[in-house]
Amino acid sequence: MKITPERFATIVEVYGSQPEHWPVEERAEASAFLAQNPSAQALVAEYQSLDAWLDQYRVPALPALEAHVLSQARNVSTGNAFDRLMDWLLPHSGRVLAWVWRPAMVACLPLICGIYLADYFSFGIESPQNSWEEELYLLSLNDYAETLE
Amino acid sequence: MTDDQELMTAIQSGDAQAYEAAVKKHLKSISHYAFRMLGNSKDTEDITQETFLRLWTHADTWRGEKSSVSTWLHRIAHNLCIDYLRKDKSSVTSEYLDEMEMDDRPMDAPDNTDKLTALKQALELLPERQRSALVLNHYHGFSNREIAEIMDISVDALESILARARRGLKALLLGKSSSSAEKSL
Repeated sequence: MKITPERFATIVEVYGSQPEHWPVEERAEASAFLAQNPSAQALVAEYQSLDAWLDQYRVPALPALEAHVLSQARNVSTGNAFDRLMDWLLPHSGRVLAWVWRPAMVACLPLICGIYLADYFSFGIESPQNSWEEELYLLSLNDYAETLE
Repeated sequence: MTDDQELMTAIQSGDAQAYEAAVKKHLKSISHYAFRMLGNSKDTEDITQETFLRLWTHADTWRGEKSSVSTWLHRIAHNLCIDYLRKDKSSVTSEYLDEMEMDDRPMDAPDNTDKLTALKQALELLPERQRSALVLNHYHGFSNREIAEIMDISVDALESILARARRGLKALLLGKSSSSAEKSL
């Protein structure tokens, strides 16, 4: 397949001016086209100027960033299900939800404790389990009485 | 099991040393990407921290058969940067530049001291997705398939975005929206 001028321009626009970045399957033909065509050479020269401009961009050092990134992990739970549940129940400070949710959870705590204590000590109320046992016992006696009749 | 899988399995189980190893391996690339997208240190730190926080808390959502850890982290950073830029009302970037004809006048920065400023301004004028594609392509050396995966687009769509990005940047920096070389080709 012979490369067209339009395709050559697209390759340079997409992949830049350096032939080693061009698609492998088109590189040889595009390089040959470049060698024979002065307009293609002018186009590549323009994009070389652009690449040279881009190469000047240096990012400043951020010396404290690594320490911040590492320290945040110590304060945050990992991704297991229990920790996520706890994270949902008790969101970290800073989230808007935390301002409402945390006081609500704290307010519910005595209620939860009360329910647990009441269930544990029963306070003279017979447990449903005993009632069921008695019910079954009476039913079996009733069946026995019927067979006697 | 690959290195990535071992690392991510350890992070999922809460291994702080594995997390530290991942941070040391990917921090530079993620922070440089964020800086080139956002153009300032404060936002770069915020986005970088949030990216690695997600690595720590959501490592179980990584799928080794779909992407490398590097691609996955850059995808998180890309999404965070795009969300941030779209929410930031003061940002000068907007998609309208996609539709608009690029001005043929180059930016006034012929000397070396102002060249970096001019480049930063020109990158900021590019629509977010064009900027992201160009940064990932030029500075990070990702393949087009990897960039398409990071940006969640097809390779064809990426090529179109990259071509528009380079044309736009050339117009802004060199004052050549459609050069004589291109026209004569």
